[in-house]
Amino acid sequence: MKRLVPILLLAACGDLSGFSGEVPPLATITIQTTGDFEAVRAPNAPDANLHVALVWGTQWLPEATCFLPPESPELAAVVAAGCRNPLAFTPTRVTADAPLVPGEPASLTLFDLPSADLMVGDVTARIAYASLVIYDDRDGDGVLRLARSRRLPTGGPEMGPPDPDPPPSSSLVYGASFVAMTEPDTRLAFREGAFVESGFYPRHGCGTPPPAFSLLSAGGFSFADAVAATAAGTLPSEDPATCVETAPEARTVQVPLRPPAEVREARCEQRREDSSVRYRRPPTDSIDLANLPHACASIPNLGGDPIAPEGTIQLVVASAPDDPCRALTHYTLLGCDDRSTLVCDVPEWDYRSEPPAWWPCPVQAAAR
Amino acid sequence: MNRLVPVLATLVVARAAAAEGPTAASDSFAIRPGGPLTVDGGLVLGFPTALPTGLSRGIGGGVTFGACPLRWGVRAAWVTATESTRAWEVTHSDLRLRITGSAQHDVGRGSFGIRLGAGGTLVHESRLRAQGMRAGLTGSDLETSSFAMVPAADLEAVIGVHVVGPWLLVMSGGPSMALVDGDAHASWTAEIGVAWQP
Repeated sequence: MKRLVPILLLAACGDLSGFSGEVPPLATITIQTTGDFEAVRAPNAPDANLHVALVWGTQWLPEATCFLPPESPELAAVVAAGCRNPLAFTPTRVTADAPLVPGEPASLTLFDLPSADLMVGDVTARIAYASLVIYDDRDGDGVLRLARSRRLPTGGPEMGPPDPDPPPSSSLVYGASFVAMTEPDTRLAFREGAFVESGFYPRHGCGTPPPAFSLLSAGGFSFADAVAATAAGTLPSEDPATCVETAPEARTVQVPLRPPAEVREARCEQRREDSSVRYRRPPTDSIDLANLPHACASIPNLGGDPIAPEGTIQLVVASAPDDPCRALTHYTLLGCDDRSTLVCDVPEWDYRSEPPAWWPCPVQAAAR
Repeated sequence: MNRLVPVLATLVVARAAAAEGPTAASDSFAIRPGGPLTVDGGLVLGFPTALPTGLSRGIGGGVTFGACPLRWGVRAAWVTATESTRAWEVTHSDLRLRITGSAQHDVGRGSFGIRLGAGGTLVHESRLRAQGMRAGLTGSDLETSSFAMVPAADLEAVIGVHVVGPWLLVMSGGPSMALVDGDAHASWTAEIGVAWQP
Protein backbone atom coordinates (compact mmCIF):
# COMPACT_ATOMS: atom_id res chain seq x y z
CA MET A 1 0.00 0.00 0.00
CA LYS A 2 2.88 2.37 0.80
CA ARG A 3 4.23 1.80 -2.71
CA LEU A 4 0.87 2.41 -4.34
CA VAL A 5 0.38 5.89 -2.87
CA PRO A 6 3.27 7.62 -4.70
CA ILE A 7 2.29 5.92 -7.94
CA LEU A 8 -1.23 7.23 -7.66
CA LEU A 9 0.04 10.68 -6.70
CA LEU A 10 2.28 10.72 -9.76
CA ALA A 11 -0.57 9.55 -11.90
CA ALA A 12 -2.70 12.39 -10.61
CA CYS A 13 -0.16 14.85 -12.01
CA GLY A 14 -0.96 13.78 -15.54
CA ASP A 15 -2.72 16.13 -17.89
CA LEU A 16 -5.54 14.89 -20.07
CA SER A 17 -5.95 16.72 -23.34
CA GLY A 18 -8.82 14.84 -24.95
CA PHE A 19 -9.59 16.38 -28.31
CA SER A 20 -8.20 19.77 -27.36
CA GLY A 21 -4.68 21.11 -27.36
CA GLU A 22 -2.35 22.12 -30.11
CA VAL A 23 -2.54 19.99 -33.23
CA PRO A 24 0.87 19.18 -34.73
CA PRO A 25 1.02 19.97 -38.44
CA LEU A 26 1.58 17.09 -40.83
CA ALA A 27 4.29 19.13 -42.54
CA THR A 28 5.69 22.64 -42.47
CA ILE A 29 7.17 24.34 -45.51
CA THR A 30 9.27 27.49 -45.42
CA ILE A 31 8.98 29.75 -48.46
CA GLN A 32 10.92 32.85 -49.39
CA THR A 33 10.50 35.00 -52.46
CA THR A 34 13.45 36.24 -54.47
CA GLY A 35 13.65 39.29 -56.70
CA ASP A 36 12.26 42.80 -56.41
CA PHE A 37 8.53 42.88 -55.94
CA GLU A 38 8.21 46.49 -57.09
CA ALA A 39 9.80 45.54 -60.39
CA VAL A 40 7.05 43.04 -61.16
CA ARG A 41 4.08 44.61 -59.40
CA ALA A 42 1.04 45.09 -61.62
CA PRO A 43 0.44 48.81 -62.24
CA ASN A 44 -3.22 48.71 -61.23
CA ALA A 45 -2.69 46.75 -58.04
CA PRO A 46 -1.49 48.93 -55.18
CA ASP A 47 -1.47 47.83 -51.53
CA ALA A 48 -0.41 44.29 -52.24
CA ASN A 49 -1.46 41.64 -49.76
CA LEU A 50 0.85 38.79 -50.64
CA HIS A 51 0.07 35.22 -49.65
CA VAL A 52 1.44 31.82 -50.48
CA ALA A 53 -0.99 29.02 -51.30
CA LEU A 54 -0.49 25.30 -51.66
CA VAL A 55 -2.08 24.25 -54.95
CA TRP A 56 -2.36 20.59 -55.88
CA GLY A 57 -2.04 19.64 -59.52
CA THR A 58 -4.02 17.40 -61.80
CA GLN A 59 -3.34 15.52 -65.01
CA TRP A 60 -4.00 17.59 -68.09
CA LEU A 61 -3.55 16.99 -71.80
CA PRO A 62 -3.67 19.97 -74.16
CA GLU A 63 -5.89 19.91 -77.21
CA ALA A 64 -4.27 19.08 -80.54
CA THR A 65 -4.61 22.59 -81.96
CA CYS A 66 -2.25 23.84 -79.26
CA PHE A 67 0.70 21.61 -80.06
CA LEU A 68 0.39 20.70 -83.74
CA PRO A 69 2.13 23.01 -86.22
CA PRO A 70 -0.38 25.76 -87.08
CA GLU A 71 -1.69 25.64 -90.63
CA SER A 72 -1.78 29.43 -91.06
CA PRO A 73 -0.29 32.57 -89.54
CA GLU A 74 -3.74 33.51 -88.28
CA LEU A 75 -4.05 30.21 -86.46
CA ALA A 76 -0.53 30.66 -85.08
CA ALA A 77 -1.64 33.97 -83.61
CA VAL A 78 -4.72 32.31 -82.10
CA VAL A 79 -2.58 29.57 -80.58
CA ALA A 80 -0.16 32.11 -79.17
CA ALA A 81 -2.99 34.04 -77.55
CA GLY A 82 -5.23 31.22 -76.41
CA CYS A 83 -3.05 28.22 -75.64
CA ARG A 84 -1.13 27.77 -72.44
CA ASN A 85 2.20 25.97 -72.22
CA PRO A 86 1.34 22.33 -73.08
CA LEU A 87 3.63 21.26 -70.24
CA ALA A 88 2.28 23.71 -67.70
CA PHE A 89 1.36 22.78 -64.16
CA THR A 90 -2.44 22.51 -63.98
CA PRO A 91 -4.02 23.37 -60.64
CA THR A 92 -7.08 21.68 -59.28
CA ARG A 93 -7.35 22.40 -55.54
CA VAL A 94 -6.03 24.87 -53.00
CA THR A 95 -5.58 23.45 -49.52
CA ALA A 96 -3.40 25.78 -47.47
CA ASP A 97 -2.59 29.45 -47.33
CA ALA A 98 -0.33 31.80 -45.37
CA PRO A 99 0.53 35.50 -45.53
CA LEU A 100 3.93 36.39 -46.87
CA VAL A 101 6.25 39.41 -46.95
CA PRO A 102 8.49 39.68 -50.04
CA GLY A 103 12.02 38.55 -49.27
CA GLU A 104 11.19 37.19 -45.81
CA PRO A 105 10.68 33.53 -44.91
CA ALA A 106 7.09 32.43 -44.39
CA SER A 107 5.83 29.16 -42.98
CA LEU A 108 3.06 27.17 -44.57
CA THR A 109 1.71 24.51 -42.25
CA LEU A 110 -0.19 21.54 -43.61
CA PHE A 111 -2.85 19.94 -41.46
CA ASP A 112 -4.37 17.68 -44.09
CA LEU A 113 -3.14 15.12 -46.57
CA PRO A 114 -4.07 15.39 -50.22
CA SER A 115 -7.29 13.52 -50.83
CA ALA A 116 -7.33 10.36 -52.92
CA ASP A 117 -8.66 12.11 -56.00
CA LEU A 118 -5.55 14.28 -56.10
CA MET A 119 -3.20 11.31 -56.17
CA VAL A 120 -2.28 9.41 -59.30
CA GLY A 121 -1.75 5.67 -59.06
CA ASP A 122 -3.43 2.92 -57.10
CA VAL A 123 -3.51 2.44 -53.37
CA THR A 124 -0.20 0.59 -53.39
CA ALA A 125 1.70 3.30 -55.25
CA ARG A 126 0.31 6.77 -55.68
CA ILE A 127 1.61 10.29 -55.66
CA ALA A 128 0.40 13.88 -55.69
CA TYR A 129 2.27 17.04 -56.64
CA ALA A 130 1.67 20.61 -55.57
CA SER A 131 2.96 24.05 -56.43
CA LEU A 132 3.52 26.89 -53.98
CA VAL A 133 1.83 29.87 -55.56
CA ILE A 134 2.63 33.45 -54.53
CA TYR A 135 -0.34 35.74 -55.07
CA ASP A 136 -1.76 39.10 -54.17
CA ASP A 137 -5.00 38.52 -52.32
CA ARG A 138 -6.85 41.47 -53.81
CA ASP A 139 -10.19 40.76 -52.15
CA GLY A 140 -8.63 40.01 -48.77
CA ASP A 141 -10.43 36.72 -48.22
CA GLY A 142 -7.19 34.84 -47.60
CA VAL A 143 -7.97 32.27 -50.26
CA LEU A 144 -6.53 31.76 -53.70
CA ARG A 145 -9.55 31.25 -55.91
CA LEU A 146 -8.81 29.19 -58.99
CA ALA A 147 -10.02 30.77 -62.20
CA ARG A 148 -11.39 29.51 -65.49
CA SER A 149 -11.49 30.99 -68.93
CA ARG A 150 -14.58 32.98 -69.83
CA ARG A 151 -17.09 31.25 -72.06
CA LEU A 152 -17.97 33.01 -75.29
CA PRO A 153 -21.59 33.20 -76.50
CA THR A 154 -22.97 29.95 -77.89
CA GLY A 155 -26.07 29.28 -79.93
CA GLY A 156 -28.93 27.04 -78.91
CA PRO A 157 -31.15 27.24 -75.85
CA GLU A 158 -29.43 24.38 -74.07
CA MET A 159 -26.10 26.14 -73.82
CA GLY A 160 -27.21 28.93 -71.51
CA PRO A 161 -26.06 32.50 -71.53
CA PRO A 162 -22.38 33.39 -71.96
CA ASP A 163 -20.29 34.03 -68.89
CA PRO A 164 -20.45 37.60 -67.65
CA ASP A 165 -17.47 39.85 -67.95
CA PRO A 166 -14.78 38.77 -65.52
CA PRO A 167 -14.84 40.61 -62.20
CA PRO A 168 -11.84 42.69 -61.22
CA SER A 169 -9.10 40.20 -60.57
CA SER A 170 -9.48 38.76 -57.08
CA SER A 171 -6.01 37.25 -57.07
CA LEU A 172 -2.90 38.26 -58.98
CA VAL A 173 -0.29 35.54 -59.22
CA TYR A 174 3.29 36.75 -58.82
CA GLY A 175 5.14 33.48 -58.83
CA ALA A 176 4.97 29.76 -58.31
CA SER A 177 7.47 27.13 -57.30
CA PHE A 178 6.16 24.91 -60.09
CA VAL A 179 4.98 26.75 -63.19
CA ALA A 180 5.73 24.27 -65.95
CA MET A 181 7.80 21.18 -66.64
CA THR A 182 9.79 23.25 -69.14
CA GLU A 183 11.19 25.41 -66.33
CA PRO A 184 13.20 24.65 -63.20
CA ASP A 185 10.74 23.84 -60.45
CA THR A 186 10.43 22.87 -56.81
CA ARG A 187 7.31 20.92 -56.08
CA LEU A 188 5.79 19.44 -52.96
CA ALA A 189 5.21 15.73 -53.38
CA PHE A 190 3.14 13.39 -51.31
CA ARG A 191 3.94 9.76 -51.96
CA GLU A 192 2.05 6.81 -50.54
CA GLY A 193 3.26 3.27 -51.04
CA ALA A 194 5.77 2.45 -53.73
CA PHE A 195 6.83 4.84 -56.47
CA VAL A 196 6.03 4.02 -60.08
CA GLU A 197 7.31 6.36 -62.76
CA SER A 198 4.54 7.73 -64.92
CA GLY A 199 3.78 10.64 -67.21
CA PHE A 200 2.22 12.56 -64.31
CA TYR A 201 4.63 15.50 -64.11
CA PRO A 202 7.52 13.10 -64.73
CA ARG A 203 10.88 13.32 -63.00
CA HIS A 204 12.82 10.76 -65.04
CA GLY A 205 16.51 10.86 -64.15
CA CYS A 206 15.97 12.09 -60.61
CA GLY A 207 15.84 10.05 -57.44
CA THR A 208 12.72 8.38 -56.14
CA PRO A 209 10.57 10.75 -54.09
CA PRO A 210 10.77 9.90 -50.39
CA PRO A 211 7.60 8.53 -48.74
CA ALA A 212 5.06 11.00 -47.36
CA PHE A 213 5.73 14.71 -47.93
CA SER A 214 8.90 15.84 -49.68
CA LEU A 215 10.27 18.72 -51.70
CA LEU A 216 11.54 17.82 -55.15
CA SER A 217 13.58 20.12 -57.35
CA ALA A 218 14.78 19.69 -60.91
CA GLY A 219 15.85 21.79 -63.86
CA GLY A 220 13.06 20.90 -66.30
CA PHE A 221 13.16 19.74 -69.91
CA SER A 222 12.29 21.31 -73.22
CA PHE A 223 9.11 20.79 -75.21
CA ALA A 224 11.21 19.24 -77.97
CA ASP A 225 12.68 16.76 -75.48
CA ALA A 226 9.18 15.86 -74.36
CA VAL A 227 7.99 15.30 -77.94
CA ALA A 228 11.06 13.19 -78.77
CA ALA A 229 10.68 11.12 -75.61
CA THR A 230 6.98 10.58 -76.24
CA ALA A 231 7.69 9.46 -79.80
CA ALA A 232 10.27 7.02 -78.42
CA GLY A 233 7.85 5.72 -75.80
CA THR A 234 9.89 7.00 -72.89
CA LEU A 235 9.77 9.87 -70.43
CA PRO A 236 11.78 13.06 -70.92
CA SER A 237 14.85 13.13 -68.72
CA GLU A 238 15.88 15.67 -66.14
CA ASP A 239 19.52 16.59 -65.66
CA PRO A 240 20.45 14.56 -62.56
CA ALA A 241 22.75 17.36 -61.43
CA THR A 242 19.69 19.58 -60.90
CA CYS A 243 17.71 17.04 -58.90
CA VAL A 244 17.18 17.52 -55.17
CA GLU A 245 14.88 15.47 -52.95
CA THR A 246 14.50 16.50 -49.31
CA ALA A 247 12.09 16.50 -46.44
CA PRO A 248 9.84 19.57 -46.37
CA GLU A 249 11.53 20.96 -43.26
CA ALA A 250 15.04 20.50 -44.63
CA ARG A 251 15.22 23.66 -46.72
CA THR A 252 13.60 26.91 -47.72
CA VAL A 253 11.76 26.99 -51.03
CA GLN A 254 12.92 29.95 -53.08
CA VAL A 255 10.24 31.32 -55.38
CA PRO A 256 11.24 34.05 -57.86
CA LEU A 257 8.75 36.90 -58.20
CA ARG A 258 7.56 37.34 -61.78
CA PRO A 259 5.12 39.59 -63.64
CA PRO A 260 1.55 38.27 -63.35
CA ALA A 261 1.28 37.91 -67.12
CA GLU A 262 3.98 35.22 -67.03
CA VAL A 263 2.53 33.10 -64.28
CA ARG A 264 -1.23 33.75 -64.28
CA GLU A 265 -1.90 30.22 -65.55
CA ALA A 266 -0.72 28.88 -62.18
CA ARG A 267 -4.26 29.48 -60.90
CA CYS A 268 -6.17 28.46 -64.02
CA GLU A 269 -8.32 25.36 -63.91
CA GLN A 270 -9.01 23.68 -67.24
CA ARG A 271 -12.53 22.96 -68.42
CA ARG A 272 -11.42 19.80 -70.20
CA GLU A 273 -8.40 17.82 -69.08
CA ASP A 274 -8.28 14.98 -71.61
CA SER A 275 -7.31 16.94 -74.76
CA SER A 276 -10.82 16.60 -76.16
CA VAL A 277 -12.52 19.60 -77.75
CA ARG A 278 -16.08 20.76 -77.21
CA TYR A 279 -17.38 22.04 -80.56
CA ARG A 280 -19.93 24.78 -80.09
CA ARG A 281 -22.97 25.95 -82.02
CA PRO A 282 -22.40 29.46 -83.39
CA PRO A 283 -24.91 31.98 -82.03
CA THR A 284 -27.35 33.71 -84.33
CA ASP A 285 -26.26 37.12 -83.11
CA SER A 286 -22.81 38.17 -84.10
CA ILE A 287 -19.84 37.77 -81.79
CA ASP A 288 -17.61 40.78 -81.29
CA LEU A 289 -14.46 39.35 -82.80
CA ALA A 290 -12.66 42.67 -83.07
CA ASN A 291 -10.57 42.14 -79.94
CA LEU A 292 -10.43 38.37 -80.07
CA PRO A 293 -7.75 36.62 -82.11
CA HIS A 294 -9.56 34.18 -84.37
CA ALA A 295 -8.88 31.99 -87.38
CA CYS A 296 -10.61 29.56 -89.66
CA ALA A 297 -8.99 26.17 -89.60
CA SER A 298 -9.52 22.54 -90.42
CA ILE A 299 -10.31 20.00 -87.74
CA PRO A 300 -7.04 18.42 -86.54
CA ASN A 301 -6.90 14.68 -86.31
CA LEU A 302 -4.23 12.74 -84.44
CA GLY A 303 -5.17 9.49 -86.15
CA GLY A 304 -7.84 6.97 -85.48
CA ASP A 305 -11.47 7.42 -86.43
CA PRO A 306 -12.29 10.73 -88.15
CA ILE A 307 -14.01 13.19 -85.84
CA ALA A 308 -15.36 15.46 -88.60
CA PRO A 309 -16.61 15.13 -92.17
CA GLU A 310 -13.90 15.84 -94.66
CA GLY A 311 -13.48 19.51 -95.40
CA THR A 312 -15.12 20.72 -92.21
CA ILE A 313 -13.99 24.20 -91.27
CA GLN A 314 -14.06 25.51 -87.73
CA LEU A 315 -13.80 28.98 -86.33
CA VAL A 316 -11.22 29.04 -83.54
CA VAL A 317 -11.36 32.01 -81.19
CA ALA A 318 -8.76 32.77 -78.54
CA SER A 319 -9.57 34.22 -75.14
CA ALA A 320 -9.30 37.97 -74.71
CA PRO A 321 -6.05 39.38 -73.32
CA ASP A 322 -7.87 40.50 -70.15
CA ASP A 323 -9.37 37.09 -69.51
CA PRO A 324 -8.07 35.48 -66.32
CA CYS A 325 -7.08 32.34 -68.23
CA ARG A 326 -6.14 31.33 -71.73
CA ALA A 327 -8.50 29.18 -73.77
CA LEU A 328 -9.72 28.40 -77.25
CA THR A 329 -13.36 28.31 -78.34
CA HIS A 330 -14.30 26.17 -81.34
CA TYR A 331 -17.38 26.95 -83.45
CA THR A 332 -18.61 24.66 -86.21
CA LEU A 333 -21.61 24.86 -88.54
CA LEU A 334 -22.31 21.20 -87.88
CA GLY A 335 -22.55 19.67 -84.45
CA CYS A 336 -23.55 16.50 -82.68
CA ASP A 337 -25.11 15.65 -79.37
CA ASP A 338 -21.68 14.46 -78.28
CA ARG A 339 -19.88 17.77 -78.59
CA SER A 340 -16.44 16.20 -78.89
CA THR A 341 -17.13 14.81 -82.39
CA LEU A 342 -18.70 16.11 -85.55
CA VAL A 343 -19.59 12.70 -86.97
CA CYS A 344 -23.08 11.47 -86.11
CA ASP A 345 -26.16 10.11 -87.85
CA VAL A 346 -28.42 12.97 -86.80
CA PRO A 347 -26.68 16.33 -86.27
CA GLU A 348 -27.72 18.42 -83.32
CA TRP A 349 -27.40 21.43 -85.59
CA ASP A 350 -26.46 21.91 -89.24
CA TYR A 351 -26.07 25.46 -90.47
CA ARG A 352 -24.04 24.54 -93.52
CA SER A 353 -26.84 25.52 -95.90
CA GLU A 354 -27.73 28.66 -93.92
CA PRO A 355 -24.83 29.93 -91.80
CA PRO A 356 -25.19 32.91 -89.47
CA ALA A 357 -24.71 36.23 -91.23
CA TRP A 358 -21.54 37.02 -89.30
CA TRP A 359 -19.83 33.64 -89.98
CA PRO A 360 -16.37 34.58 -91.21
CA CYS A 361 -15.20 31.21 -92.50
CA PRO A 362 -15.77 29.29 -95.72
CA VAL A 363 -19.02 27.34 -95.73
CA GLN A 364 -18.96 23.67 -96.49
CA ALA A 365 -21.57 22.25 -98.76
CA ALA A 366 -24.43 20.64 -96.90
CA ALA A 367 -24.29 16.88 -96.88
CA ARG A 368 -26.50 15.31 -99.54
CA MET B 1 -76.41 -25.69 -30.81
CA ASN B 2 -74.36 -28.42 -32.44
CA ARG B 3 -71.49 -25.94 -32.76
CA LEU B 4 -71.78 -24.73 -29.15
CA VAL B 5 -71.20 -28.12 -27.59
CA PRO B 6 -67.54 -28.53 -28.54
CA VAL B 7 -66.82 -24.95 -27.49
CA LEU B 8 -68.30 -25.50 -24.04
CA ALA B 9 -66.44 -28.78 -23.76
CA THR B 10 -63.20 -27.01 -24.51
CA LEU B 11 -63.86 -24.45 -21.77
CA VAL B 12 -64.58 -27.17 -19.25
CA VAL B 13 -61.31 -28.91 -20.05
CA ALA B 14 -59.44 -25.61 -19.88
CA ARG B 15 -60.88 -24.72 -16.48
CA ALA B 16 -59.99 -28.14 -15.21
CA ALA B 17 -56.37 -27.68 -16.35
CA ALA B 18 -56.17 -24.22 -14.81
CA ALA B 19 -57.33 -25.61 -11.52
CA GLU B 20 -54.14 -27.67 -11.28
CA GLY B 21 -52.07 -24.46 -11.05
CA PRO B 22 -48.62 -23.60 -12.51
CA THR B 23 -45.44 -25.20 -11.42
CA ALA B 24 -43.59 -22.70 -9.20
CA ALA B 25 -40.15 -21.68 -10.48
CA SER B 26 -38.87 -21.86 -6.93
CA ASP B 27 -39.66 -25.52 -6.95
CA SER B 28 -37.51 -26.10 -10.03
CA PHE B 29 -34.56 -23.83 -9.11
CA ALA B 30 -33.97 -23.99 -5.43
CA ILE B 31 -31.99 -21.13 -3.93
CA ARG B 32 -29.97 -20.94 -0.76
CA PRO B 33 -30.18 -18.09 1.69
CA GLY B 34 -27.12 -15.94 1.11
CA GLY B 35 -24.33 -15.25 3.56
CA PRO B 36 -22.62 -11.94 4.32
CA LEU B 37 -20.23 -12.13 1.35
CA THR B 38 -21.14 -11.44 -2.28
CA VAL B 39 -18.71 -11.50 -5.17
CA ASP B 40 -19.90 -10.23 -8.52
CA GLY B 41 -18.56 -9.46 -11.96
CA GLY B 42 -19.87 -8.51 -15.36
CA LEU B 43 -19.88 -6.25 -18.33
CA VAL B 44 -19.73 -2.50 -17.81
CA LEU B 45 -21.04 0.23 -20.08
CA GLY B 46 -20.94 3.92 -19.50
CA PHE B 47 -19.96 7.37 -20.45
CA PRO B 48 -16.20 7.95 -20.44
CA THR B 49 -14.90 9.63 -17.32
CA ALA B 50 -13.00 12.39 -19.07
CA LEU B 51 -13.93 12.30 -22.75
CA PRO B 52 -16.74 14.59 -23.83
CA THR B 53 -18.33 11.90 -25.99
CA GLY B 54 -18.28 8.18 -26.62
CA LEU B 55 -19.31 4.94 -24.98
CA SER B 56 -16.94 3.10 -22.69
CA ARG B 57 -17.10 -0.66 -22.57
CA GLY B 58 -15.29 -3.08 -20.34
CA ILE B 59 -15.50 -5.35 -17.36
CA GLY B 60 -16.01 -4.80 -13.68
CA GLY B 61 -16.55 -6.56 -10.43
CA GLY B 62 -16.66 -6.18 -6.70
CA VAL B 63 -16.93 -7.70 -3.29
CA THR B 64 -19.67 -6.83 -0.82
CA PHE B 65 -19.67 -7.64 2.87
CA GLY B 66 -22.27 -7.46 5.59
CA ALA B 67 -25.86 -8.36 6.22
CA CYS B 68 -28.99 -6.62 5.05
CA PRO B 69 -29.91 -3.83 4.98
CA LEU B 70 -26.54 -2.04 5.13
CA ARG B 71 -23.49 -3.44 3.41
CA TRP B 72 -20.11 -2.19 2.28
CA GLY B 73 -17.57 -3.29 -0.26
CA VAL B 74 -14.95 -2.50 -2.84
CA ARG B 75 -15.34 -2.41 -6.60
CA ALA B 76 -13.13 -2.09 -9.65
CA ALA B 77 -13.88 -1.71 -13.34
CA TRP B 78 -11.83 -1.27 -16.45
CA VAL B 79 -13.47 0.35 -19.44
CA THR B 80 -12.17 1.85 -22.62
CA ALA B 81 -13.48 4.16 -25.31
CA THR B 82 -12.00 5.42 -28.57
CA GLU B 83 -13.32 8.47 -30.37
CA SER B 84 -11.99 10.51 -33.27
CA THR B 85 -11.97 14.01 -34.62
CA ARG B 86 -10.31 15.26 -37.80
CA ALA B 87 -7.11 15.83 -35.84
CA TRP B 88 -7.02 13.13 -33.17
CA GLU B 89 -7.94 9.56 -32.42
CA VAL B 90 -8.22 9.51 -28.63
CA THR B 91 -8.46 6.36 -26.51
CA HIS B 92 -9.33 6.61 -22.84
CA SER B 93 -8.94 3.60 -20.62
CA ASP B 94 -10.51 4.12 -17.21
CA LEU B 95 -9.66 2.05 -14.17
CA ARG B 96 -12.43 2.80 -11.71
CA LEU B 97 -11.68 2.02 -8.05
CA ARG B 98 -14.44 2.54 -5.52
CA ILE B 99 -15.29 1.91 -1.91
CA THR B 100 -19.00 1.34 -1.68
CA GLY B 101 -21.77 1.43 0.84
CA SER B 102 -25.20 0.11 0.02
CA ALA B 103 -28.66 -0.22 1.43
CA GLN B 104 -30.42 -3.39 0.35
CA HIS B 105 -33.81 -4.96 0.72
CA ASP B 106 -34.56 -8.58 -0.12
CA VAL B 107 -37.99 -9.64 -1.40
CA GLY B 108 -38.37 -13.31 -2.30
CA ARG B 109 -35.78 -14.09 -4.94
CA GLY B 110 -35.15 -10.43 -5.55
CA SER B 111 -32.80 -8.01 -3.96
CA PHE B 112 -33.14 -4.25 -4.45
CA GLY B 113 -30.74 -1.62 -3.28
CA ILE B 114 -28.97 1.67 -3.67
CA ARG B 115 -25.18 1.71 -3.80
CA LEU B 116 -22.98 4.74 -3.29
CA GLY B 117 -19.38 4.43 -4.40
CA ALA B 118 -16.55 6.87 -3.95
CA GLY B 119 -12.92 6.70 -4.94
CA GLY B 120 -10.80 7.48 -7.92
CA THR B 121 -10.59 6.74 -11.60
CA LEU B 122 -7.18 6.25 -13.15
CA VAL B 123 -7.49 7.48 -16.73
CA HIS B 124 -4.94 6.52 -19.34
CA GLU B 125 -5.15 8.71 -22.39
CA SER B 126 -3.60 7.77 -25.73
CA ARG B 127 -3.80 10.29 -28.55
CA LEU B 128 -2.87 9.46 -32.13
CA ARG B 129 -2.59 12.26 -34.68
CA ALA B 130 -5.06 11.50 -37.44
CA GLN B 131 -3.26 10.72 -40.72
CA GLY B 132 0.04 11.15 -38.86
CA MET B 133 1.40 7.77 -39.86
CA ARG B 134 0.62 8.40 -43.54
CA ALA B 135 2.35 11.76 -43.27
CA GLY B 136 5.44 10.19 -41.70
CA LEU B 137 5.13 11.84 -38.30
CA THR B 138 7.05 10.28 -35.45
CA GLY B 139 7.46 10.70 -31.71
CA SER B 140 5.22 13.05 -29.80
CA ASP B 141 3.99 14.63 -33.03
CA LEU B 142 2.41 11.30 -33.85
CA GLU B 143 1.32 9.91 -30.50
CA THR B 144 1.09 11.07 -26.90
CA SER B 145 -0.04 9.32 -23.78
CA SER B 146 -0.67 10.39 -20.21
CA PHE B 147 -2.20 9.25 -16.96
CA ALA B 148 -4.43 11.10 -14.56
CA MET B 149 -6.13 10.04 -11.36
CA VAL B 150 -9.39 11.86 -10.86
CA PRO B 151 -11.71 11.69 -7.84
CA ALA B 152 -15.07 10.20 -8.72
CA ALA B 153 -18.31 8.93 -7.18
CA ASP B 154 -21.20 6.81 -8.43
CA LEU B 155 -24.77 6.37 -7.24
CA GLU B 156 -26.31 3.20 -8.59
CA ALA B 157 -29.54 1.31 -8.29
CA VAL B 158 -28.79 -2.38 -7.86
CA ILE B 159 -31.10 -5.25 -8.65
CA GLY B 160 -30.21 -8.85 -7.94
CA VAL B 161 -32.23 -11.94 -8.72
CA HIS B 162 -31.42 -15.29 -7.14
CA VAL B 163 -31.36 -17.72 -10.02
CA VAL B 164 -30.14 -20.98 -8.64
CA GLY B 165 -28.16 -22.04 -5.61
CA PRO B 166 -25.76 -19.26 -4.62
CA TRP B 167 -25.88 -17.58 -8.05
CA LEU B 168 -27.57 -14.29 -8.81
CA LEU B 169 -28.12 -12.21 -11.87
CA VAL B 170 -27.23 -8.63 -10.99
CA MET B 171 -27.83 -5.36 -12.78
CA SER B 172 -26.88 -1.91 -11.70
CA GLY B 173 -26.75 1.55 -13.12
CA GLY B 174 -26.87 5.21 -12.30
CA PRO B 175 -25.20 8.56 -12.49
CA SER B 176 -21.53 9.15 -11.94
CA MET B 177 -19.49 12.24 -11.25
CA ALA B 178 -15.79 12.94 -11.61
CA LEU B 179 -13.59 15.97 -11.09
CA VAL B 180 -11.51 16.41 -14.24
CA ASP B 181 -9.09 19.33 -14.26
CA GLY B 182 -11.14 20.96 -11.52
CA ASP B 183 -14.41 20.69 -13.42
CA ALA B 184 -17.24 18.37 -12.48
CA HIS B 185 -17.87 15.90 -15.25
CA ALA B 186 -21.19 14.09 -15.08
CA SER B 187 -21.65 10.72 -16.71
CA TRP B 188 -23.43 7.44 -16.19
CA THR B 189 -22.48 3.83 -15.72
CA ALA B 190 -24.27 0.50 -15.95
CA GLU B 191 -23.31 -3.08 -15.32
CA ILE B 192 -24.85 -6.47 -15.92
CA GLY B 193 -23.33 -9.65 -14.61
CA VAL B 194 -23.50 -12.51 -12.18
CA ALA B 195 -22.90 -12.70 -8.47
CA TRP B 196 -21.95 -15.47 -6.15
CA GLN B 197 -23.30 -15.39 -2.61
CA PRO B 198 -22.12 -18.42 -0.67
